[in-house]
Order: sequence, then C-alpha cells, then structure tokens
Amino acid sequence: MLPIIAAEAINTEIIAKGLMIGLGFLGPAIGIGIIGGSYLQAVGRNPEAAKFFGQALVFAAIVELFGLLAFASTFIVK
Amino acid sequence: MIARFGAVAEGPTVHVAPGTVFEIGGVIITNSILYGWITITFMVLFFAWVARKVTIKPRGGVVQFVEAGVEFISNLVVNSFDDKSKGRKYVPFFVTLFFFLLINNWLGLLPGVGEAFRVGETPLLRAFTADLNGTLAAGIVTMIFVYVASIRETGGVLPYLRHFFIGSPWNPLYFVIGILEILTDLTRVLSLSLRLFLNVTIGEIVIAVFSYLGSIAAPVTALPFTMLEMFVGALQAYIFTVLSLMYLSIAANHGSHTAEHADTEEAELTKDTETETMRLRPGEA
Repeated sequence: MLPIIAAEAINTEIIAKGLMIGLGFLGPAIGIGIIGGSYLQAVGRNPEAAKFFGQALVFAAIVELFGLLAFASTFIVK
Repeated sequence: MIARFGAVAEGPTVHVAPGTVFEIGGVIITNSILYGWITITFMVLFFAWVARKVTIKPRGGVVQFVEAGVEFISNLVVNSFDDKSKGRKYVPFFVTLFFFLLINNWLGLLPGVGEAFRVGETPLLRAFTADLNGTLAAGIVTMIFVYVASIRETGGVLPYLRHFFIGSPWNPLYFVIGILEILTDLTRVLSLSLRLFLNVTIGEIVIAVFSYLGSIAAPVTALPFTMLEMFVGALQAYIFTVLSLMYLSIAANHGSHTAEHADTEEAELTKDTETETMRLRPGEA
C-alpha cells in the first residue's frame, strides 16, 4: 500500500526532472573541466599552444551537447 | 496525509516548438520562418550596404567588424586545406553560413521577439535558429554541400568512400571500422542541427526563467544571461562553421596524404621540434 500512497502524494515528475538534470549535467561538467584543465596545462607547458583555444571551444561544444540533450529530455517527462 | 510535494506554481511561459501564425493556401507559416524571412531581408540589405562602404583604408565603425569577421573565417577556411588554392573556392559558402547563423542568433535576442507580440496564443516572432526545422534545414543543406564538395575533391564516389577505410577494405577489422565510420558520418546532420537548436532554445528558456524569477527587477536578473547568450550565439555559429569545415577538409586533405607523404611529414615534424628545442636552449640558460 505504502508505495502507491507515496507515488500519489509525492510529485514524482519534479523528482524525475531534478534527477535528469542533475545527473545529465554531471558528465558534461566533468568533461568540460577536463578540456579546460588540459588546455591550461598545455599553455602552461608551452605558451605557443595558446593558439588552440578555438579548438578547445569546439570540443567543449561537442561535450556540451549531451548536457543539453538531458535538459531537453525533461520536457518529455510527464 | 503527506502534503503534496513541490506543488507546481504558475511558471514562466516557455515554447519549445514554433507556433502557427497564419496559413497561405494550406501551407502553415510559423513564427520562426516569418522571422527568418525578416532576418534574411535585413541581412541582404545590410551586407549590400557594407559592400558599398568597404574601402582599402579602414574607416572604423560597423564595416570594420564585418570585415574582421569575413577575414577571420576566410583565413580559417583557406588554412584548413593543404592546398591553399583549393580552400579559396569554399570561402563564400562558409562566410555566408557563419554570418547567417550569427545574425539569426543575435536578432533572436532582441526585445520584442518572443512573448511580447502575440497572435492569439502564439508569439508573433521567434528566432529562426530556435526552431528545430530551421536548424535541421541548415544542417541538411550544409552536409549536402560538404558531401558534394568532398566527392568532387576526392575525384569520385568510390575514392570518397575509400577514405573511410584506414587500410585495405578487405581486411575484416578495417572493413568493420570503415562501415562504422560511414554510419557515424550520417549522424552529423543531427548532431550539428541539434546542438545549435538546443543551445539557442535553452538560452531563451534560461532568460525567460530568470526574468520570471526577477519579477519586478527582471532587467537586472535577465541582463547577464542575455549577454551570455550573445557569447553563446557567436560561439555556436563559429562551431557550426568550423565543424562542417572540418568534415570537408578531412575528406579533401586525405587524397594528398599517401604513404610516402606520411613518412616525410613525420620526419619534418621531428626536425621542427629539434630546431624548437635548439632555439629554446639559449633562452633557458
């Protein structure tokens, strides 16, 4: 009986959306952190590597797509 | 009885899909295509004006910004090909693509676009890139151009398909990898258009949410996010251009990289690093 009452009383939609956004943004956040960290490390070792900033942004955008997909999926959850 | 958890209050109005504004003979005209036409008209007039104003000696103003943008993208296109004269042919397409997406992204942030003017329930104007149909069209046109251009650069359909395989296609491992490469190639249309659409749409949603949260102080809370969106809009236009350019240049440059070439290039690379270290050494001491 208890699970049914809980499912009716608790708004599971909000919890599902929160989990989706939270877990979905976790991965891209780590990925963008790694990209930015590696870029700064490369520039620290060899300042001439600063010209690859555009490429670092491109890879950040590729990683970012998965976070955005998680965000967009929250509109489907009912 | 447990109280209802997180009761939903009246939130900000958010549209993910474009709405119908009117119909012409059964063809639905959505708000995004309407604004897309307005943007294209503006773009044609604006660039015609800029083209008349351009002088050899820079005079500053808006013209200089456009000139810098055109030069930036055309350098990018020319430098990504091994053969510089090859790259020059593709400059017009990529410069147009970049400015089309940039101006669409930026004009979508203007006040008045969105909920301000409505036809019934649907907003009158909506950014063209905030509509999946629009970005999908842009992605399909771009990828068709890329496929046609790379088939022409590699000299036929078979040599183009051949560049997906690292080694001999009759080796089973290389065969499977090549087939997988071809399949991943087909997802490029979706990934290009979804990235642009989601970035622009979610930016709009974030602005809507923060202006709703700010209530009376909405200009203050929404301004930082609008500025962030200006940056994101420029970045996404750049990324769309660079990625499609990369897809083309990978196929076009592959023909000039034969087995002997790779060896000499490697030797050149090691030579370069040697001179680099020799040049650095006196500075370190």
